[in-house]
Amino acid sequence: MTAILKTPAAWPAILLRREGETGGETARDPKRRAAAAGAAGPAFDGLRRSVRELGSRGTIALLAEAGLRGRGGGGFPTADKWRAAANAEAPAKYVVANGYGADPSSLTDRTIVEREPDAVVEGVAIAAWTIGAEEAIIAVRAGSTDAIAALQGAIDAALSRGELGDDALATGRRLVVEVRTVQGAYMLGEETVLLKALDGRRGQPEQRPPHPSTTGYRGMPTVVQNVQTLASAAWILRNGAAAFRATGTAETPGTILVQVAGNEQGGVAEVPFGTPLGDIVKLAGGVGAGRSIKAVLVGGPSGGILPADRLSTPYTFEALRLLGAHVGSGSIMVADDRACVVDLARVLTRFCADEACGKTIPCRIGTARLAEIGERMSAGTSRAGDVQLATDLADDIVGSGLCDHERLATLPLMSGLRYFGPEVAAHVERGECPAGVCRPIHFAASAPTAPQPTMAS
Amino acid sequence: MTDLIVRPDGRPSVPERSPESRPDQPIKHDTRMPLENTLAEQLITTQAPQRPQSTPRIRIEVDGRLVEGLEGQTILEVCRDNGIEIPTLCYEPKLPGFGACRMCVVEVEGEEHPPISCSRAAEPEMKVQTQTEEIRRLRRTNLELIFSDHNAYCLPPCQNKCPSHIDIPGFLKQNAEGNFRESTRIFKRTIPFPSVLGRVCPAPCEDHCRRDEVDEAIAIRDSHRYAGDQVIKAMLDEGIDPPLPFEVQSKTGRRVAIIGSGPAGMAAAYYLLINGHDVTIYERDPAPGGMLRYGIPQYRLPKIEVLEAEYESVTRLGGKMVCNQGLGRDFTLDDLQFQGYDAVLIAIGCYETNKLGVPGEDAAEVLDGLEYLRTATLGLPYPGHKGKRVVVVGGGFTSMDCSRTSIRQGASEVTLVYRRDMKDMPASNEVHEAIEEGVTAIFQAGPTRVITDAKGNVTGIEFIRMVPGEPDASGRRRPEPAPGTEFTIPCDRVLLAIGQGPELDWIGPGSQGPKATKNRRLQADAVTFETGRPGVFATGDVRVGAATVVQAIAEGRRAAYAANAFLRGQDLGALKTRQTLAEPQPEFLSIVPFTAERKEPRYRLKALEAEVRNKSYVEYEIPYSKEEIVAESTRCLQCTCEAIGFCDLRRLGIEYGTTLKTLEPDNNQGAGYRSVTENRFTGVNHDYIRDDSHAFILREPSRCIDCGRCATVCAEVVGAACYDFMRIGFDTLVTTPLDMSLNDTPCVSCGRCAETCPTGALMPKPRVLQKFEVNESTCILCGICVDACPYDALRDGGEFELASASREDPEVDLMALAAIDRETEVTYIRKERDWLQRAIEAGRFIDEGRLLPVLPPSLTSGNGSGNGNGHGHAAGGGQPGGGQPGAHIHPK
Repeated sequence: MTAILKTPAAWPAILLRREGETGGETARDPKRRAAAAGAAGPAFDGLRRSVRELGSRGTIALLAEAGLRGRGGGGFPTADKWRAAANAEAPAKYVVANGYGADPSSLTDRTIVEREPDAVVEGVAIAAWTIGAEEAIIAVRAGSTDAIAALQGAIDAALSRGELGDDALATGRRLVVEVRTVQGAYMLGEETVLLKALDGRRGQPEQRPPHPSTTGYRGMPTVVQNVQTLASAAWILRNGAAAFRATGTAETPGTILVQVAGNEQGGVAEVPFGTPLGDIVKLAGGVGAGRSIKAVLVGGPSGGILPADRLSTPYTFEALRLLGAHVGSGSIMVADDRACVVDLARVLTRFCADEACGKTIPCRIGTARLAEIGERMSAGTSRAGDVQLATDLADDIVGSGLCDHERLATLPLMSGLRYFGPEVAAHVERGECPAGVCRPIHFAASAPTAPQPTMAS
Repeated sequence: MTDLIVRPDGRPSVPERSPESRPDQPIKHDTRMPLENTLAEQLITTQAPQRPQSTPRIRIEVDGRLVEGLEGQTILEVCRDNGIEIPTLCYEPKLPGFGACRMCVVEVEGEEHPPISCSRAAEPEMKVQTQTEEIRRLRRTNLELIFSDHNAYCLPPCQNKCPSHIDIPGFLKQNAEGNFRESTRIFKRTIPFPSVLGRVCPAPCEDHCRRDEVDEAIAIRDSHRYAGDQVIKAMLDEGIDPPLPFEVQSKTGRRVAIIGSGPAGMAAAYYLLINGHDVTIYERDPAPGGMLRYGIPQYRLPKIEVLEAEYESVTRLGGKMVCNQGLGRDFTLDDLQFQGYDAVLIAIGCYETNKLGVPGEDAAEVLDGLEYLRTATLGLPYPGHKGKRVVVVGGGFTSMDCSRTSIRQGASEVTLVYRRDMKDMPASNEVHEAIEEGVTAIFQAGPTRVITDAKGNVTGIEFIRMVPGEPDASGRRRPEPAPGTEFTIPCDRVLLAIGQGPELDWIGPGSQGPKATKNRRLQADAVTFETGRPGVFATGDVRVGAATVVQAIAEGRRAAYAANAFLRGQDLGALKTRQTLAEPQPEFLSIVPFTAERKEPRYRLKALEAEVRNKSYVEYEIPYSKEEIVAESTRCLQCTCEAIGFCDLRRLGIEYGTTLKTLEPDNNQGAGYRSVTENRFTGVNHDYIRDDSHAFILREPSRCIDCGRCATVCAEVVGAACYDFMRIGFDTLVTTPLDMSLNDTPCVSCGRCAETCPTGALMPKPRVLQKFEVNESTCILCGICVDACPYDALRDGGEFELASASREDPEVDLMALAAIDRETEVTYIRKERDWLQRAIEAGRFIDEGRLLPVLPPSLTSGNGSGNGNGHGHAAGGGQPGGGQPGAHIHPK
């Protein structure tokens, strides 16, 4: 079980109930869960409100009013997605909840599934009702047994209460939620890859459009949402749009789970959107005494490496994208003054290249070449023009890429070049690693190498 | 209401609304089995939709042009229907877009990332740009990325190395099949004179022949010499015109004057005539040929039998020859243009021998080597050569010709001195023959002064030893004198053969415009061949300096294309790209391993004995016999990529300029090459093993670009699913399950994968289907026959297909048959190529006619072939006594 970081009391708790409230450890024990559910009054109030009061259109309107956006990293407005799927005409529709948590360093999705399975299942049920799906799938990592047990417990409880099943909420409509385990790779975080994996096909992304909301699982309209988004949707249905809008920022209301890793402690915390990066880093104690923050890696393996002077940046989709980072898996890692940015970027780019599904050329070969450029920098064997080459290549990968994996895989190296020019230049031009992490080949100034281009800062 | 579309299981395509359901309630869908997993269902979902004619039409704007398409079509389909080309590699027209190659990206107004046109549906009012700079850059980057991991080659090294890029495997293949006329035709596509080149070419191709790794390089030059000779023979004996490489174009009415009838000028004339222009060739000497006639001795190139015969192919096309007319001497460029010539090609060659630059070289007996040869090739003995001690200075072909001619003219002593090592000598392959004939060769020595007596007669020449220094521009180490190592060679006459430059003193009044370069060459563009004067082109040695005949011909041919473009009013600026496209791209050199070949050394041309030939001017090499030429040409490994000509990757690579650089002047005059994987992204690349196991399909995974077309086509059109993506990341490869041999997959040998492959990764095997015979004693009448006889009853044989089978064949040694199969791993109907040899070595008796193991004669003697005839189960005259064994091969 991941550590939950203590957040200031003033911060709202939408996704994770606080210490003392029901939830958390209780969720995993079916008996205690059932007891707790009874004590907390009728569960799935949000679902009831959606079905009995609002209907499909009303629910979508409420979500639009609340300004709910996808927590999976892209930040796409949830209401738009649901509306497209609800309006699509098809013999079948599906809801797929992505609780896979592709980033191995981030346990945010797993945390919410383990601690708040009811909210997730309720959110899934609401989505299915709203778009007219009879089947919904919650995809989780095959190895996460706690999460599977918690979800199955929540589904069983809902079935026994009649909120799910062949005659859900006594409306005569069938609503089945299934927990599906998928075992695969990093790429499963991509929604089209996840759909293909669920379909039993090779996990390779598909060109969008058509979006899954019109052509998804088994070729049918499918709403794919992160589990946090669905839990937030359930909360909105229970507490109203205004309450939701009271947290976060105007463009992105609500909260999100982040995985913060400091030097001394780390864990998952629920933070409102718009919280400055520095405040989030402080939750994990920063880098500890005697050290200074050099960089923050925001967004997981394909995240951006931001310098310490950007810690005032608010944690929102737009602000991070502007800086060359992204929300991604919700991971925030702190690097202190001993870290080497070139080495960090090299490791991350190689990870992304190795995890590529191999479908497209810019991804399969392009990211590998990008990783090679990073490795050359780190080894002190850069060729003339490597910095410009990396920039050009990254531009073209972003330009012609198929899915976000290849586009985002360029971020570590590009943000490194953008914010840490002098450090990169030391590697490339002088074969030195100021942090002493890389072991580049030192070469004399008279060595016959072509002059390197100046760094972009 | 009737359903227009009925699903295969009989269910209507739209769910029925039961009469009692209320219209305001949602339709109850049957969601449990939305799609049945039947093949028919799969075909419906995977195959591109068939659109009826009545589909509504939409209009979109592509590159500023309004085009019409059908609703539901992709941007790519609309564009292709309207003749707008968008490049693709992974798109298979039968299937929905896949989106792996990213080549079909287009710009759609109002979209952040350029979508790919193969998957993006065209929408009304859409504004599409297919060729913007950014889009082309994205495609180019993609291609460069593909090439950086394309561990393969297009052209074989021999063709790379040939300055004229002759299709060497092509003509050798025709030679091997005995089609010498077709072989010559292929040759003439790039060089009009196969017989001349077959005698005088230094054959740079042979230095790079991969057969050398097996045993010895192919005799490429001698092979086209034979083919060319056959054509000449047919022309002289039977009056058959030589084959033309291309169709002769209709007359343009344009007139071209070519100055100089050497190899460059005549090659240019040949291709200009084929392109329909009127050509007049001006030659300052009494007979055409230039260096071919006046520089190369008779014993190497017979003038009448070979040179004039091959030059006849130019005059037969209508070329007019005007001799004894020299530029600057008899006419000027102005004169030519007054006479109404639309274009002038200057191909006057290099005739001014360089000076030694040492004291005493003005002595009377220090002769210009070219001047000496000229007299000799005119058939005149050079005055006073007999009995003289001669020193020849230089290491090129001129020096070789000077030395060997001197021997023939009775010089008492001939010494060849060259300042570099023998291996750096341009004529290193000829020096052995010269030494055989009696020439003394001294290497690594340079002249310091010519010693003369009081009367000015040469008595000797002093040399100094040279030691190799730093490498120079040519890659050879620059010779540097070692002080104190001077030595003297006594002699009576010195022949200088240390290189030549062009005579350019005609530039001036009446011939203004063309300029000389700093290196004393005529200035002309490397691709358009334009000099400073409009309509005047320069090509050959006069442009590049003294070079080989094959380089001169390559120059001439390319200049002809440039002049043709000029005469047809085309843009010479655009020619750079166009000519580069027309030119083979000699940059692909990384090589796959060859399969084990039987060692078979080169068939050498026999030469006359040195003592005989050093007195004679008769051609000293004895040509091949027909058997020898066929055997020699068969030795060619055919290293060329089988997909050349229909490889989309190569075509796009050329079109997008990711494989250019080859015609840049600084790149070894067009003869340079680079490996295909060399570009700005060069890094780790994959080297996969060729899968040669399948009878009909050759897999070369190193050429795979992971487009996935074969996988999709095989799985969704054929249904066999032999291929899929394996592994992840950079190592992803479209391959068979677990990389097994294609032979072990459910392959049905339909060949669709090879058909759809955009590169040479999957190819139909270059294999001529054999005739078959069926052994009915093992046939189980299953009917799969040629696909894959499970009992190996159907096999290669010398008889007609299914025509002469015998139910009882007492001759066949079934035990041996089974043993051979085990030993040679029979795959489908193909055995390993050396199975026969191995079977013979194992002591088996083989019926050569049917290629079947038979019982030893001792067991079969007196045992008739029984009711062999009449049991063939197909029509078509079985040979009488069909089961009769042919000649038996007995173990040695």
